[in-house]
Amino acid sequence: MIHDDRVATRRVAAGLEEPAEKARELAEKLGLRPYPVRYWVVTHEEMNRLIAYDGFQTRYPHWRWGMKYDRQRKQDTFGMGKAFEIVNNDNPCHAFLQESNTDADQKAVITHVEAHADFFRNNEWFGRFAGDREEPNAAAMLERHADAIASYVDDPEVDRGDVERLIDAVLCVEDTIDQHRALAAERGVEDADADLVDIEERLDRLGLSAEVRDQVFDDEWIDAQREGEHLPEPRLDVVRYLREHGKRFDAEEGKAVDREPWMDDVIELLRRESYYFAPQKLTKVMNEGWASYWESLMMGDERFAGDDEFVTYADHMSRVLGSPGLNPYALGLAIWQYVENTANRREVVDKLLRVEGVTWRTLHDVVDFDAVADLLEPDPAIAGLTADTLEHLDPEDPRVDADALERALVGDLDADAYPWAVLTYEGLCERHFSLSKPANRGFLQRVGRSELERLARYMFDDEVYPDVETALADVDYGAGWERMREVRESHNDVTFIDEFLTEEFVVEGNYFTYEYSHAAGGYRVASVDPDDVKKKLLLRFTNFGKPTIAVYDGNYDNRGELLLGHRYNGVALDLPKATKTLERVFELWGRPVNLATVVTEYDDHELEVARRRGREPRGEEAAIRLRYDGDQVERHELEPALADRIAAADADYDTKPDEWLA
Amino acid sequence: MGLREDLERFREIGDRRRPDLAEFIREGDLSGSSRDRVRIPVKLVDLPSFEYSQRDMGGVGQGQGGTPQPGQPVDVPGDPGDADGDGDEDGDPGEEGGEHDYYEMDPEEFAQELDEELGLDLEPKGKRVVEEVEGDFTELTRAGPNSTLDFEQLFKRGLKRKLATDFDEGYVREACRVAGADARDVFEFCRADNVLVSLAWIRDAYDELAAEGVAMDEYADFDDFADRVERETVSARIRRDGLRDVPFRREDERYRQPEVIEKKQKNVVVVNIRDVSGSMRKTKRELVERTFTPLDWYLTGKYDEAEFRYVAHDADAWEVERGEFFGIRSGGGTRISSAYALAAEILEEYPWSEWNRYVFAAGDSENSSNDTVENVVPLMREIPANLHAYVETQPGGNTINATHAEEVERELADRDNVVVARVAGPEDVPDAIRKILSTEGT
Repeated sequence: MIHDDRVATRRVAAGLEEPAEKARELAEKLGLRPYPVRYWVVTHEEMNRLIAYDGFQTRYPHWRWGMKYDRQRKQDTFGMGKAFEIVNNDNPCHAFLQESNTDADQKAVITHVEAHADFFRNNEWFGRFAGDREEPNAAAMLERHADAIASYVDDPEVDRGDVERLIDAVLCVEDTIDQHRALAAERGVEDADADLVDIEERLDRLGLSAEVRDQVFDDEWIDAQREGEHLPEPRLDVVRYLREHGKRFDAEEGKAVDREPWMDDVIELLRRESYYFAPQKLTKVMNEGWASYWESLMMGDERFAGDDEFVTYADHMSRVLGSPGLNPYALGLAIWQYVENTANRREVVDKLLRVEGVTWRTLHDVVDFDAVADLLEPDPAIAGLTADTLEHLDPEDPRVDADALERALVGDLDADAYPWAVLTYEGLCERHFSLSKPANRGFLQRVGRSELERLARYMFDDEVYPDVETALADVDYGAGWERMREVRESHNDVTFIDEFLTEEFVVEGNYFTYEYSHAAGGYRVASVDPDDVKKKLLLRFTNFGKPTIAVYDGNYDNRGELLLGHRYNGVALDLPKATKTLERVFELWGRPVNLATVVTEYDDHELEVARRRGREPRGEEAAIRLRYDGDQVERHELEPALADRIAAADADYDTKPDEWLA
Repeated sequence: MGLREDLERFREIGDRRRPDLAEFIREGDLSGSSRDRVRIPVKLVDLPSFEYSQRDMGGVGQGQGGTPQPGQPVDVPGDPGDADGDGDEDGDPGEEGGEHDYYEMDPEEFAQELDEELGLDLEPKGKRVVEEVEGDFTELTRAGPNSTLDFEQLFKRGLKRKLATDFDEGYVREACRVAGADARDVFEFCRADNVLVSLAWIRDAYDELAAEGVAMDEYADFDDFADRVERETVSARIRRDGLRDVPFRREDERYRQPEVIEKKQKNVVVVNIRDVSGSMRKTKRELVERTFTPLDWYLTGKYDEAEFRYVAHDADAWEVERGEFFGIRSGGGTRISSAYALAAEILEEYPWSEWNRYVFAAGDSENSSNDTVENVVPLMREIPANLHAYVETQPGGNTINATHAEEVERELADRDNVVVARVAGPEDVPDAIRKILSTEGT
């Protein structure tokens, strides 16, 4: 535990050493494999700074951090943003705890942080940044970037304003990267020359003599090809394309010229930071849900908080999860619980279907679910373990940690405070088996026929157990957690919600979709259908909830212009913002830039008719191209061939009912 | 540290984005502010990015207590939604939608900035004595407790007295030995020489000298005496003999008293008068609000205490709350004097000796015939005030009987506390405000 020298901080830090150590021990017993975590106790003021810097202590100089800091402070004064912790993805992770948190808060935060640290380490999306090294090395990287950019800012040869302007421009497109691609793959094989190789290969294939080739297709020509290429496939990593092929517009010369080396460097550094932060944006719901799940298990079920602190903790938790609207903590937690319960149910049903005389058709009739529930109840010796019941435990029992039991018996371990310490992972699985929890009663019985049939379809050894009792004795209590760990490894928010969001969650939470009604001049509830809610949620989480923009052509119109395309999925761009962004892209390209997109237009007649009939006006979709030449924005019609290329056919996010507001 | 510079840089950028006050007064949204908090919308500083149109995107919400019905209105934060109601159907939503941050200033800051911006320098007068406090113990009185006795004063006064009455005794005694002179001659000689001796003392001296048997004709005459005897100055004598006794007298006693400081409060009462008759349509009403509101803020910021009273009038006048003041419409004719009569009544609560008074009236200059000259002008003369302002709002040009402003100007040209400002559109507001605030009666 690290802390500064101030007395208050030191006192708080000292009190947290044991909880931090125990939380780690418990997390590992529960099957988590977190990065080591360094805990820092910080003041409120320091917390605000850390939040502004995305959880790090040093960032490159830029006014945007100042803005975040300013907002954070203001939010704070209005009592809205009480920050409990911030933890960054690094090895070791650095977690910052606010000095003023209550003890219960601190313990909760520590358990929460341990789960985040596990997620950072084991989720594949995070791994894509780090690659095989398994070391994001984030703090060091960000500090290096900060130093580099600060050195450009301080360089007397470089205009300070130019650096800021360049950073501004890159930040405008910071999310237009190929976030699903592994940045790690770029390392080692630096494939910046890949395009060039292509061209040279193609030239080779022409079978020209070296002489002709050198004269006709000289280096200059090849360079020209590199700069402005017609792309066979759109490039999602717009920032990279701009870095590699972009120029800078020189106002004095009135044309595009090559960038200074420091400019290329700045763009690349910022791009790397984008890739570093992308996984956090891609897995917000999963990650917060994961942390909330384990926090609630450790704090609530394992009473990691003392009894006196538990009330404070419960209060804190209900505030976090209960904040209205769609919050990632509640959504994530609900989905994780669903993942756990369904995996456990499948495990139990799998065993039940193997009982003689039980088939998927008869299961609901022949199985007594109350008896099943009783049989699934964890062993009281495991569930109700206290210091007084230690002697009933058998050190040979695989659910019991023999060493810990011995220590507990001689008094080296306080089994009342840390009963879990006496158990193994297996013991804890049984102790926390989800289907035995009161909240999940009935979940097993609600298993649907179709699911039963699916499970039974390829089941060959279906007459293994003579009766339900023997079948249930074989139940693997760890099935739920195992499945959770699998999901935690490979999913991101989009796949997570798509696959596991349940009807129950939508219906019980009274979730609905809303759309803008032109007729009513405001937002209206559009649908309460769970599928529609899921659709809207996916829109919000796909591609950071932003439109997909890719480079479609680097030599548009054969004039070296850039063509960006918005992959149109039926949801239009915010045109004023897109225009402003396009103007910034010009600064990274140096030549005219274009943006292809689709807008919906309503003609006056249609508006009038719609108004009179009180229905939504029907718009006409039109594919357009915005072109910015450094001076003004023009709007053109888009060629049909390009219009086809930017259409994304696979999605429909509109949830308006047919007869809306009729 | 780095973040501090980042914050400063952000503030610099933010300041540049802030509309200047004149622009805010002309076009800004005044509604977000209250009397003690002026909220100036600032264009959002943050960088643009490719985003979905918020309206096209829709979203997911959570119903409170039950599943909502499709078609039910939804409040979406950050989008004005229903607020812009009708008309916005051009298929280009999302433009300027909720893209605001606010810069908040208190009225003091507002007044200060407006001073800079419009080049004003209104120095409010403190009028009402709110309290008398005891200042330093610098006042002196003749009586008081011993502990406050100013001994230094007593000593000085005693010393002065001593110096004033002291004289060179040896010198006078010698003068008595001038041949043929009697006590009165010596006395006259001494007095002529500014020696403050009494006749009685000289007589005593003669007696003493006689008793001692000293020769009484040492000097031939007074000239001889003056030549031979040097007079010793008081300071030399004190230096030689020391200050033996200083006479302390009761009448020299002074006692220290705390100084009484009158604290005057800069207080102001503003009577806002508005014509609410039928001819005052929406645009005119808005212009009045746009002019009066910054005036209110400004005066609130300038004075320690500011009270605002609102008078609405058509043919009659009545007092209203601020909340309704700018919105009221009535039918009826116009008689501006009714409002000034009511204003005079209201101002009786705020004695002129204690309050700065501003009377701001606004309307489209329409008044019933002769009311201005016969009634309003005399009332304006009678009501003592720092300033009587009339704001003429007249979008749409002159009408025939709209002569109030002109008449006021003509009739009261001799007064320096009367001003008329004309506001035909929002662009005139800053100038009107400047004109009003730079006029003040002396």
